[in-house]
Amino acid sequence: MRSRAAGWGLLLAVGLALPWLIYPVLAVDILAWGLFAAAFDILLGCTGLLSFGHAAFFGTGAYAAAVVALRLGVAFPWDAVAGAVAAALLALPLMALSIRRTGISFAMITLAFAQMVFYVANAWRSLTGGENGITGVPRGEVLGWSLSPAVAYYYAAFPLVALGLLLCWRIVRSPFGRVLLAIRENEVRTQSLGYPVSRYKLIATVLSCALSGLAGGVWVLNHGFVALDAVHWTTSGTVVVMVLLGGMATRLGPLVGAALVMLLRDFLSRWTDAWGIATGTIFIAVILVFRQGIVGTLEGLVAGRGGPAAAPAAPPVEEAASGLR
Amino acid sequence: MENVLLQAFNGLINGAFYALLSLGLAVIFGMLRVLNFMHGALYMLGAFGAYLLTAELGLSFWWALVVSPLAVAAVGFLLERVFLRWLYDLDPLYNLLLTFGLALAIQDGMRLRFGMQGVPYSAPPQLQGALQIGVMFFPTYRLFVLAFSVLVCLGTWWVIERTRVGMVIRAATEKPMLTRALGIDVDRWIPPVFAFGVALAGLAGVLAAPMRNVSPLMGADLIITTFAIVVIGGMGSILGSVVTGFIVGVAAALGAVYYPPIANTLVFILMALVLLLRPQGLFGSAEAG
Amino acid sequence: MARGTTAESRTGITRRRFLTAAGAGVAGAALAPLASPWPRVSRAQGAVRLTHGKLVIGIINDQSGVYADLAGLKAVEAVKMAVEDFQKKYGQNAVGGPIEVISADHQNKPDLGSAKAQEFYDRDGASMIVGVDTSSVGLAVANVAAQKRKIHINVGAATSALTNDNCNKYTFHYAYDTVMLANGTATEVTRKIGKNWYIVYPNYAFGQDMNRSFTRAIQKAGGKVLLADATPFPNDDFSTYLIKARGMRPLLNIVGTMHAGQDLVNFVKQYNEFGLRKQGLNLAIGLLFLSDIHSLGVQAYQGTLYTTAWEWSMDRQAREWADRFLARTKVRPTFVMAGDYSATWQYLEAVRRAGTDDSEKVVAALEGYRFSDFFIRNGGIRKQDHLVVHDAYLARVKAPNEVKEPWDYVEIVSKIPAREAFLPLSQSTCKMGA
Repeated sequence: MRSRAAGWGLLLAVGLALPWLIYPVLAVDILAWGLFAAAFDILLGCTGLLSFGHAAFFGTGAYAAAVVALRLGVAFPWDAVAGAVAAALLALPLMALSIRRTGISFAMITLAFAQMVFYVANAWRSLTGGENGITGVPRGEVLGWSLSPAVAYYYAAFPLVALGLLLCWRIVRSPFGRVLLAIRENEVRTQSLGYPVSRYKLIATVLSCALSGLAGGVWVLNHGFVALDAVHWTTSGTVVVMVLLGGMATRLGPLVGAALVMLLRDFLSRWTDAWGIATGTIFIAVILVFRQGIVGTLEGLVAGRGGPAAAPAAPPVEEAASGLR
Repeated sequence: MENVLLQAFNGLINGAFYALLSLGLAVIFGMLRVLNFMHGALYMLGAFGAYLLTAELGLSFWWALVVSPLAVAAVGFLLERVFLRWLYDLDPLYNLLLTFGLALAIQDGMRLRFGMQGVPYSAPPQLQGALQIGVMFFPTYRLFVLAFSVLVCLGTWWVIERTRVGMVIRAATEKPMLTRALGIDVDRWIPPVFAFGVALAGLAGVLAAPMRNVSPLMGADLIITTFAIVVIGGMGSILGSVVTGFIVGVAAALGAVYYPPIANTLVFILMALVLLLRPQGLFGSAEAG
Repeated sequence: MARGTTAESRTGITRRRFLTAAGAGVAGAALAPLASPWPRVSRAQGAVRLTHGKLVIGIINDQSGVYADLAGLKAVEAVKMAVEDFQKKYGQNAVGGPIEVISADHQNKPDLGSAKAQEFYDRDGASMIVGVDTSSVGLAVANVAAQKRKIHINVGAATSALTNDNCNKYTFHYAYDTVMLANGTATEVTRKIGKNWYIVYPNYAFGQDMNRSFTRAIQKAGGKVLLADATPFPNDDFSTYLIKARGMRPLLNIVGTMHAGQDLVNFVKQYNEFGLRKQGLNLAIGLLFLSDIHSLGVQAYQGTLYTTAWEWSMDRQAREWADRFLARTKVRPTFVMAGDYSATWQYLEAVRRAGTDDSEKVVAALEGYRFSDFFIRNGGIRKQDHLVVHDAYLARVKAPNEVKEPWDYVEIVSKIPAREAFLPLSQSTCKMGA
């Protein structure tokens, strides 16, 4: 128990110190993408569903938060929460259709829906600003504190993201999460045990999408700006990459993956124009060497130890494979 | 009416590119269960291969048409042996990510060498100009592309349907477990099949070079559409990928005539409908889906 | 050779140009209710006092994506070159301290661009960010500039929103925008070559803006847009639209493409493939860079008319600078690279005039300033919307047999005077907060 408390304490300390270690805007980006990746992993790691269209929900959250903050003057954190609500509302019909498929078919149908969302975002210029996007989204203030300084916004966003992350982690370890794991391992058997599998899957996907929308809301307020690339398929690809790099179905994996990708992107932006070669090489190396992601591999090394890193053990990859066949 | 026919015919030519690319992707997916994300990058290498052979070595387009796909096949063979083969027992997701990383690196490498704007390439002198056939007016080169890719697709179909190699591929694609259980050494055929699949991408690249911008990112966005076509046709269905390639080409062309902005989204709407109503794809068998 | 107007000569030139501009204003009669865009510039110039003891200039642009060749790392060199030349002219202590140039690749991601801009202003103490091609990233950085109250001079983004709906006190738009491109090409081509247009544009903000600006300018010049089609973006094949164009003969004279980057090359390649020029359908291009012509070769573009902010071979002054640039970078500059140099130089001049790097004072020194250098001719920085207006040029791509040296691809057909080249102030929708 003691090492577990120490683990949580360390995590909290890193979280609180982050904006002093790196540039605060980048730190908020890590929070937002970390939440996005953790929400995504509810589907991938826990339920065995690979969505290739999560940009639609992240982007919808970002657009919704931007619009309510800018046009209706909704203040933080309610603008970000509005992002989560909008993403959930969009997810409900789309995911009700999508979860009728599994494996690659699920990945492709979510991609198809996301491409349609992209098309709508581009065409609906009066709302989204098209390619030019929406600018000047205000961060506003909380309890009289202006959130304009990046550090202030970091500490305002931190509890909100922490809440989101706790929710993700809680879901995985709850009885509800156990059923999801059972669905991942053997959907037919879970069904025959009397669990309403479709309803479980729908709740899990909508939760995942809502938290992705929340992440989008946090992210858009960080930059005061959202444009089409938020709903582009490359954004969906990025979150897959983050989760796999960090380690899927691990508690800290998505966070670590998000931090790594964002730090890398930031570092390369300033020091080389060959970011494609650098990023590509790192992906290849991680996939070949740390197949279970960074956190997954580390967990393998220190198996059996406590602490927040010890989430439900990463599934043997061969088994996860069956989910996608 | 004439105009519509003309546009539909023209759509077949774009369909030819989709067909070649998705055919290669489908063969690879069927045999290896790998969603080859670097397919677009290899298509680009095929086009640059043609450029290098013509501009630096002074060979004609016709040599490029043969040599460049072979070179791309060699590159594919090497990449498969060095990288991909370690991951076949795992979730296809890992190979998807690996090939995504490879695509990023290949594209960026080409940018550093050739710049982002790309290089010029023209059609061979024999195929320049246009033909007037009745009311139809068409660039000669496009007619050649259509004819040539139809031949290649038919040839591939013949190999797969009528030869022993094809039998193994079909068996491995449709009933992988059973094929292995029958003691057929599927693994031996993996490298050549992968090389063949990417050679088709390289060939599409050579054919595209005189018509399209030869630049490092020329295949980057194509890959997503090609994925969609393979899914619509039925994952791993050889016939499905080819026919769907042509169908999508024509549909996109007609879409562009009547409501241009939708043309790019059309394929995804089709994909969603097919997945909901007929998840095994238009031409897939229920088992393979 | 960059040349800001020196203190001695400025008064005379300013007055003369002021009178010219005033004359134009009366002729146009549209500017009447507004204050003159060219208020007198204060001439006070003493020693410069820097807030942090050094001056940091940031350049953010696409160094690895689709626009890498039109600015990219070569534009970073241009900015460094401007700083070195400035220090050569005014001495190492030209602005009262060392000048540092920092750069970042925005990879065409607006969030990365915005994060880098915030970091440059906050952490690296940058007082000005230049560059930022790609409209969406440009708008994101302009937004950061407004929040941080630091200066951004945009060279490379096309969107006219920067000086209209999205304008702000700290952002200036240099070199070109969609309205300038349309005013030049649409007007001149309609007058000289043909009146009936078919416009094909990519279906995103840039394309939509270009279509609107072109249509307006074509109609004003007495021409007609028979049809305008939005194409998917990105797009590999434009044959559908080329077949349509062919079907619109003989009424149609001009096919106007508003595409950029790869799509433009695809369009031009296929326009040639379908042999439309031989069938009397001339090609007009909305936005063309020297780097585009260089990659595909003059043959593909020959005879094409387009509007440019500058061309390296246009006169002796431009060529002198371009020669030095060639020696340094091994390429001839696009107008964006030259614009980055010029904008950096003019910013440094403004810091000297203001005597400080304090944003408010430098903005005041830039507003209403009139100048000419190797890049900007008859230039002026409008106080009301921060658009840098200057002479633009209608250019024609040479035929292969007219090319006399490497990179000699373009001939200037005519000059479009500054007051006609840009959006009139009376039509600007910019509302700048005090």
